[in-house]
Amino acid sequence: MTTVVEVNGLTKRFGKFTAVDDVSFRVEENTIYGLLGRNGAGKTTMMQLLTGQQFASDGSIRVFGQSPVENAAVLGNICFIKESQAYPDDFKPRHVFESAPWFFQNWDAEFANRLISEFRVPVNRRIKKLSRGQLSAVGVIVGLASRAPLTFFDEPYLGLDAVARQIFYDRLLEDFGEHPRTVILSTHLIDEVSALLEHVLVIDDGKLIIDENADTLRGSATTISGTKSTVEAFVGKRTVLHREGIGGLSSITVEKLDSADRTAAASAGLELGPVSLQQLIVRKTSIPEAEFGAQS
Amino acid sequence: MTALAPALPASRSNESARRVFAVIKLHFVNRFQILYMPLIVLGAIFLLNLAIWWIIVAASNGAVSGIHLGYSGAVSYIYVYGIVIAVQAISRTFPFSLGFGVTRRDFYLGSTLAFVALSFGFAVVLTIMSVIEIATNGWGVGGRMFAPLWFTNSFWLLRFVMYFCAFLFLLFIGTAGAAFYVRWRATGLTAFFAIIAVIILASVAYFTLGHHWDVVGRWIDQSGPVGITVWLLLPAAISAIAGFFVLRRATPKN
Repeated sequence: MTTVVEVNGLTKRFGKFTAVDDVSFRVEENTIYGLLGRNGAGKTTMMQLLTGQQFASDGSIRVFGQSPVENAAVLGNICFIKESQAYPDDFKPRHVFESAPWFFQNWDAEFANRLISEFRVPVNRRIKKLSRGQLSAVGVIVGLASRAPLTFFDEPYLGLDAVARQIFYDRLLEDFGEHPRTVILSTHLIDEVSALLEHVLVIDDGKLIIDENADTLRGSATTISGTKSTVEAFVGKRTVLHREGIGGLSSITVEKLDSADRTAAASAGLELGPVSLQQLIVRKTSIPEAEFGAQS
Repeated sequence: MTALAPALPASRSNESARRVFAVIKLHFVNRFQILYMPLIVLGAIFLLNLAIWWIIVAASNGAVSGIHLGYSGAVSYIYVYGIVIAVQAISRTFPFSLGFGVTRRDFYLGSTLAFVALSFGFAVVLTIMSVIEIATNGWGVGGRMFAPLWFTNSFWLLRFVMYFCAFLFLLFIGTAGAAFYVRWRATGLTAFFAIIAVIILASVAYFTLGHHWDVVGRWIDQSGPVGITVWLLLPAAISAIAGFFVLRRATPKN
């Protein structure tokens, strides 16, 4: 495995407010990362730091082995699609797609054209007049067709309808298969992207609280359902992540079960179920679930 | 233990030039807004002026013409448009370019060269129009829009130099102002105007308190209109350099 990004003790302060607080992690090559967290958790600031758009207050950032700040050799391999991306005044989508190949060596015009028709982007309408979803689609198309070795998507889903989200999801996986690259995707809609992610970074209040392989994370908890007394008896002194119940039925989420546990649970007539990534993160971080599901 | 990637492709020597050129092209990709629009408006203003001159001349049975029509000053529109272009190019294209993986340095170099090219182009247009204006004795009705009144007998190249310097001055003042805005938002813009006001006030104080205005008068006399506009290159260069250092540490805001 090759490390593409290495962050050590990274801190970013805006006056007295600490947006990113002593964060360290690594990003491996040709992997899809999810940078998850609530609105305002520091996701965008983190991405701006990694792309040299923001200046770190403390700590070090190495992207392709070098500092990204004002480093053309590094930045030339990066595409950063921001949710709130500013476009030049009176630009139309066709201006964006016309100029993108000048900046991205791997730009695939054919792929871009296919995406434009799939997302139904009106290329000759002023960007100011586009809907929220169409605006997001412009960014998504640039992010996909640029095939930059390191691609950042900041909240790419915003305003996209269900069909468009599925297209993004399918095309990303498809193209990723043919042209492996490193993708870092930030979102607060965790379930939407959960199947896409290979590695999860969760930040809350500027701190990195989860840095885990997505499959490991998914297997790290199980929901046990059954009658209240049976469930309670089985759970015993295990660490409970979440507890809910209706009447005589109960459903409790506990940490990883081994195969002996599973057999025991099955013979006790209990039902074992997977925990979604979103629920897991919500429960592990005790962030109220409502903060994630709602699309802003 | 994983390997640290020096996975960057070896940078070619002409890489930097290629990136700067890409930024120049980016400024001109929306040709309608940056080229055609100002020329269309300028053309419309010109036709309106022509109509007004014609009405005046016709109504006065030829008693009013030539110098009496005066210099319309209508051409100042394109100068104002130049400032607007510079301000928008810095404030909007800057955050956009950074998303495309452009460094601040390459963005600024490319923008600077694009503004020089734009100034050159606008100056060429104005020069051509002024040559025709003079050759046709004010479009046949004695109207003056492109060639400044006190300057109708000059060599065309001198007028070109004047237009060119004036555009450079305005575009780079706009660039510096926009850079202050991008870096420090409204506070920065206020500070920018405050700095300019203080510089002007300090100069006025110096010449007034020290009774040096006669020196200024002599200088204006000696320099002539061309000399004075060429001197505009000094504040233009200072603005361009200041803009670079301001933007170098700027971060694109949401």
